[in-house]
Amino acid sequence: MQTVQAIDRALPILHSGPGCAQKLSDTNGSSGYFSPNIFPCTSINEKDVVFGGVKKLNSTIDNALKVIDADLYVVLTGCIPEIVGDDSGEVVSRFEDADKPVIYAPTAGFKGNNYKGHEQVVDAIVEQYLKKSDKKQKGLINIWADVPYQDLFWLGNLRALEKLVAELGLTPNTIFGYNRGIENINKIPEAEFNLLVSPWVGLGNVKKMERKFGTPYLHYPTLPIGATETSKFLREVGKFAGVDEAKVEAVIKEHEDYYYYLIGRYADLFLENRVINKQFTVVADAQYSLGITKFLVNDLGLIPAKQFVVDDTPKNYRDQITEEFKKLNFGIEAEVSFETDGYKIHSEIKEHDYHGYPLVLGGYYEKEVTESLKGNFLNISWPVQDKVVFDRSYVGYEGGIRLIEDIYTVAVSRFN
Amino acid sequence: MAYYIAIGSSDGINTDLKFGEVEKFLIYKVEGTDYELYEKREVADADGFAAKCGDKNGCSGSGHGCGGGEEVAAKVTAIEDCRAVVCKKIGFQAQKQFEKRAISVFDIETTITDALDKIAGYYNKIDNNRSLRS
Repeated sequence: MQTVQAIDRALPILHSGPGCAQKLSDTNGSSGYFSPNIFPCTSINEKDVVFGGVKKLNSTIDNALKVIDADLYVVLTGCIPEIVGDDSGEVVSRFEDADKPVIYAPTAGFKGNNYKGHEQVVDAIVEQYLKKSDKKQKGLINIWADVPYQDLFWLGNLRALEKLVAELGLTPNTIFGYNRGIENINKIPEAEFNLLVSPWVGLGNVKKMERKFGTPYLHYPTLPIGATETSKFLREVGKFAGVDEAKVEAVIKEHEDYYYYLIGRYADLFLENRVINKQFTVVADAQYSLGITKFLVNDLGLIPAKQFVVDDTPKNYRDQITEEFKKLNFGIEAEVSFETDGYKIHSEIKEHDYHGYPLVLGGYYEKEVTESLKGNFLNISWPVQDKVVFDRSYVGYEGGIRLIEDIYTVAVSRFN
Repeated sequence: MAYYIAIGSSDGINTDLKFGEVEKFLIYKVEGTDYELYEKREVADADGFAAKCGDKNGCSGSGHGCGGGEEVAAKVTAIEDCRAVVCKKIGFQAQKQFEKRAISVFDIETTITDALDKIAGYYNKIDNNRSLRS
C-alpha cells in the first residue's frame, strides 16, 4: 500500500477485511490526496468468505473507477481472500479495457512483509502495465531505492540520488513522490539502464526488467552516505554509464572540497574523547545498517560493534550482504546479525562492552535500552517517533553532513 | 456434531424473506455436509410493525427495527439455538443481537440448496481444520 501511495495519483484498491489500511495512517507523512482512510476496500466479512467475494470486488473496482480520479489503480489482496482462494486476477482482467489501467498484486500479509510487497507492486507494474519499447533514450536512468514510507527518508533520499546522477550529465527517472507519477512509469522501458541502490530490495525487479525490456542494470548495494561512499558511487555509475572520467572527477572534487572544509571546522569536536562514542551499533533494515556502518567507519573513524539487520532479508541474499559489511577501510570488518527478535537484539546490546558510551542508531524501540546504558541514541529507522521528516536525506555529501549534525547534536546536548 | 441453521423463506426454495417479514423460520439440521429440514418454527408475528410504522421506507427497509428492541430481541431469542441465520436482508439491530450470541448472519438471496451447500461446506472445513481453498 505504501509503495502504491508513493506513486503520485496511483490508488490502491484493497480486497480485504475492514481496517487493513488503518495501520498506515499514523501521522508520518501518509496524508494527502489519497490518504489510507479513503482507499476503497471490499471490507469482506464471513458472508463473502462463504459465498465468494468476487462480486463485491468487481463492484468496488467498478465504482472506484467512477468515483475516484486517479491515473493507476492497483488492486491489493489481503489475507482473507488469499485464504479463501478468490481469483482476483480474473476480476481485474475484466477491466482490461477500462479508461484507466487496473493491475493487481497478491499481497496477503502472511506471505511476506512490506519489503516483499514493494517488490511485488513494482513487478505488477512491469508485468501487467508496461510494454516493451523499441526506442531507448540515451542517458535516461531509472533509479530504484528502498521502500517508500517504511523508510522515513525515502523522498529526500530519492531526490538526492537523482541530483547526484544528474550532475554526471545523465537524466534520472524515478516513479515515487511529487510530480513523478504515471508519466515517469511510462518512461521506464526506454531507459538506458536501471540503477538499483539497495542491498537486496528491488533486485528481483531489475532482473525482471532486464528480461522483459532488455534493460541492463547496475546493482549498487550500499546507500551512499558521506564523501567516501558517494565518491565511490559516482565513479561506479559514471563508469557504467560511460561518462567521461575527467567530468566525474571534477564533480567529485567540487563536492569533496566543500565536504572536508565543513568537517575540518569541527575536527576538534570529533577528536574530543569525552564527547565522541567509540563503538556503535545500527539496528535497521539492510539499507541503513550497511550505509551507516560504512559511513561511520570510513568517514568518522568509529569502530563497529555488532550490527543488526531487521528486515527479514531473504536467505539467499544474506551472504552477499555479510560480505559487504567486511569491506571497510583499514581492514576493519563489521559483524552483522540478521535478527528480527527485539529482545535478542537488546540483550546483545546490553552484554557488549562498548568501551564507553554506546552509540545506537535504530528504531524507537532501541531508545530505552540505549538510555539505560547511558548511550547516545538516534532514531533513524522504523518506528520513527521523535522526529518529523519531510524531504530530508542522509544520502550523498550533504546527507553525510546532516547525519553528523544529528549524531553530534545528541552527543553534545548530553554533555552541556 | 450437528448444528442448526435458520432460514427465512416463503417458498422453501429461495431465501427470499427479509428478517422482519419472517413469521416461520425453516430450521435445517446440518451434519458434516448433509442437511435436512428439521422444523418450521413460528416466531413473534410481523404484521404489527407495518401498522406501527406506516412508512416502510423510513428505516433500513428490512421491515423491523422501529418497532423497538423487544420484537427484534424476541425473534432473535426464538432461534437462539442456531449457528447461523440466512435471510434476504437483516437489519442492523438484529445483526448486533445475533453477534452478541455468536450467531453468524448471512444476508443473501439465493436458493436454499446453494446457501446450505456453501455454509455447510464452509463450517465443515473450518471445523475439521481443512483449508478453505479448493
